[in-house]
Amino acid sequence: MKETKLGEFEEVLLLLVGILGDDAYAFKIAEEFESQTGRAVSIGSVHSTLSRLGDKGFLKSEMGEPSATRGGRRKRVYEITAYGERTLRASRDFKMDLWSQFPGLAFRLT
Amino acid sequence: MKNHQPPKLANQFLEWILKADLVEEVLGDLEEKFDTQINKKSPLKAKTNYWYQVLNYLRPFAIRNNLITDLNPFFMWTHNLKLAFRNSIRDKSTFFINLIGLSTGLACTILIALWVMDEWQVDKFHEKESQLYTAMIHHGQSDGINTNDYTQGGLLDKALLADFPEVAAATQESEAIPMPFILTKEAQKVKGFGKFVRPNFFDLFSFELKAGDRKTLFQDRQSIAISEELALKLFDTKNAVGKTVEWEILTLKEKVTVTGVFKRPGANSTNQFDLLLPFQIYENLINVQWGNYNSKTYVQLHENVDVAALNARLKPYMKEKPGNEKEALFLKPYADSYLYGEYENGELAGGRIEYVRLFSMIAFFILLIACINFMNLSTAKATRKLKEVGVRKTIGADRKSLIEQYLGESIFITLLALISSLILVQLFLPQFNVLTGKTLTFPTSLPILSGLLGVSIITGILAGSYPALYLSSFSPAKVLKGSTNSSTGELWIRKILVVFQFALSVILIVAVLVVYKQIDFIQTKNLGYDKENVLTFPSEGMAANNLETFLNEIKKMPGIINASSTGYSFTEGGSWTTGLSWEGKDPEANIRFSNLGVYYDFIETLGVEMLEGRTFSKAFGTEENNLIMNETAIKVMGLTDPVGKVIDMWGGKATIIGVVKDFHFQSLHEAVSPMFFKFNPEFLLTVMARIEKGKEKEVIQNLEAFYKTNNPGYALNYTFLDTEFAVQYEAEARVSALAQYFAGLAIIISCLGLFGLVTFSAQRRQKEIGVRKVLGASTLSLVRLLSAEFTKMVLVAIFIALPISYYIAQYWLEGFAFKIALEPWFFIVAGLGALSIAWLTVGIQTMKAANLNPTQTLKAE
Repeated sequence: MKETKLGEFEEVLLLLVGILGDDAYAFKIAEEFESQTGRAVSIGSVHSTLSRLGDKGFLKSEMGEPSATRGGRRKRVYEITAYGERTLRASRDFKMDLWSQFPGLAFRLT
Repeated sequence: MKNHQPPKLANQFLEWILKADLVEEVLGDLEEKFDTQINKKSPLKAKTNYWYQVLNYLRPFAIRNNLITDLNPFFMWTHNLKLAFRNSIRDKSTFFINLIGLSTGLACTILIALWVMDEWQVDKFHEKESQLYTAMIHHGQSDGINTNDYTQGGLLDKALLADFPEVAAATQESEAIPMPFILTKEAQKVKGFGKFVRPNFFDLFSFELKAGDRKTLFQDRQSIAISEELALKLFDTKNAVGKTVEWEILTLKEKVTVTGVFKRPGANSTNQFDLLLPFQIYENLINVQWGNYNSKTYVQLHENVDVAALNARLKPYMKEKPGNEKEALFLKPYADSYLYGEYENGELAGGRIEYVRLFSMIAFFILLIACINFMNLSTAKATRKLKEVGVRKTIGADRKSLIEQYLGESIFITLLALISSLILVQLFLPQFNVLTGKTLTFPTSLPILSGLLGVSIITGILAGSYPALYLSSFSPAKVLKGSTNSSTGELWIRKILVVFQFALSVILIVAVLVVYKQIDFIQTKNLGYDKENVLTFPSEGMAANNLETFLNEIKKMPGIINASSTGYSFTEGGSWTTGLSWEGKDPEANIRFSNLGVYYDFIETLGVEMLEGRTFSKAFGTEENNLIMNETAIKVMGLTDPVGKVIDMWGGKATIIGVVKDFHFQSLHEAVSPMFFKFNPEFLLTVMARIEKGKEKEVIQNLEAFYKTNNPGYALNYTFLDTEFAVQYEAEARVSALAQYFAGLAIIISCLGLFGLVTFSAQRRQKEIGVRKVLGASTLSLVRLLSAEFTKMVLVAIFIALPISYYIAQYWLEGFAFKIALEPWFFIVAGLGALSIAWLTVGIQTMKAANLNPTQTLKAE
């Protein structure tokens, strides 16, 4: 079996980081997750996953500018690495490949 | 909209658990979350959500690495506690020695602390205490500066208020009147001590007024304020305002209305009175002029006044007033007078504060001795714990956790000691109150109890620190291999501590001996008069109105040898004057003469010896202008052949008719000063009667019967002169008694420690003793062998302590004008005492060890 290296939650978060661009930090990502999926999530669990993705090399992050709304604190902004993007695409391609073999549905997709 | 903030506690918690580099971003994210929540939902919901978010950060990636190990001690403490408990059960004798030592040490400290706190509280209860000052005067005299609080009645308070803008209010009260007032309501007579005060007395002082208006208390001279007790006695009710009563003292009498009822000043006040009368009466009695010092003046300053600057301006102030060329005025914080009351030549020379310091030191030393026991025993027993330490260290305990364990053990014991010391305090507080003459109560307030807890934890840390540091320093490899030779350094420290303990004990023994001998010396010293078998009672009723008949009547009674009367209580001293001049007097000299107003037969009654001339006698007609002086007075005046000399006194002439041998009319703290007797039938307060030894009861019964028929309404209030005399040295007597107890305790605690050490060393050397016995050593030689080490230590302690105690004793005795010489036997007794107590302790234990059957000690291996 091909190893995807990505869990479902991780994959969604990676995608969200890509979507949010410069605004990709833990709080925003959690908010976006909730609005897109309708599922509640704690910032802590998002943060934890983001840091794991960082450890795996899918994400890189740096501290942004301080902002008044956060009590003058800086935020950590995440960005997808090339490796992360490749893995995302690989994951999608792999799934597409699988879908194409799915009986009765393959034709509809093509 | 109200500005809501995330819960602080949650943030603190987060900061505690989070890795340092995550804190900023996480707090920022959570705050943004909180802000969006607060806009949508209620603050409560937002806060709950915040907590939810915070708790969701309890994830491995976010929590700092050392958090888990930091939490460990919580679990370790229960383990340590269990160990401490097991250790104390296993080694009961050490445990009890430590417990008894520490708890008696703590109990002493608590008792002394209670006493010290009580001393500090005296006179501090007045609301305006921080602004209240007493006016004091330095009187420049030929023999030095005399400092006291007697000021010009009727003048100084008004003058200060008028001339110094810093003064917000000023008041005066009469000097303490040494005899009680008599209050009469119909046939009922009640006695009470009183003084005359200005109407604003209650404005400055916070004595509690229970009934009456403090603004109108002393509006006219027909008013009086009385204590609740007096009100109850006189009127059967505390609300006595508006009732009438008659007061009398000496020949003064007045019918007055009660305008106020106050709560009697408690033990925390130095100012004591049962009744207060308007000052204007007193002003009419005294000579209101700047040369007379007869009242106490108190001022209330405005807030934030620079008192030092004010005092600098007050210093020359008196010199402008007539008759005050050598007087300097100053203000002293009102409450300071109690602890810092003594002046020597114009300089503050301590006072009761010295006793406060002395006993604080004693408390500290006793606690220290108990701590030393703990240290010594635990380091001595360290050999037993070596294996434990070795195993612990091998398994992975670090030094810190070992230190924690041993400190925990000592804190555990001190906390137990604290509990038993509180029980001891509860048990001994009544006796302690009797000894100190206080009414201390068991501490129940939270700050005091938490303070005690703090002290005992500090004691625990102090006592446990050395063993903890010492035990934890062993290298596990060496310990487990069995090389358990204790280092010489450790032995040295133990020896030094024992020496220190015994040195303190010896010093305390010497102190007790010296204090005891000095008190004994004072009380049996030949005073120049015979204080035994002299009955004194106030001159009142018939004695005040018709003294001559009264004295003649009582002289007829069986058992009464002689009787007379005097103006002052003999032991409290009397008034003094500088208004004497004579031929050849140095015009610059300012010599203070004490004077005692007396009646016929006074010198005979008291048994004062005449050197020259005669005493006052009816046979010589009027005696009012005649004086009898003491030896010192004649010497100071430089008179030869004094009898018959005429001198100037108070604007008139007076003749010296006799000279008495010096006698101690003042406290033995002071040298005999110049004094004279003046015949003064007008102002006599006390009757003195010399009675036959053994007939006291009979005489008193007769006098009481005599009072009933001839002095109706008055009760006989008698004291014996020697009891009054003893009261003067009450402070010393109390110190002496307390010092004896505390010295005893210190020695007992030291010996307990020594006992523990000897027990231990005998146990360790059991095999050695066994072998020696088998080889033929006698019990005596074994005892000598075992006690030699301790004897050496005690001898060194004695050697160190004796010079120190000599110095301390010398210092204390300097406060007395008449004192014992420090005889060598004090020190010999103290040294031998300490040595023999130590020998006794060591001897019992070593005898036991030496008498053991060697088969028992040698068979087990």
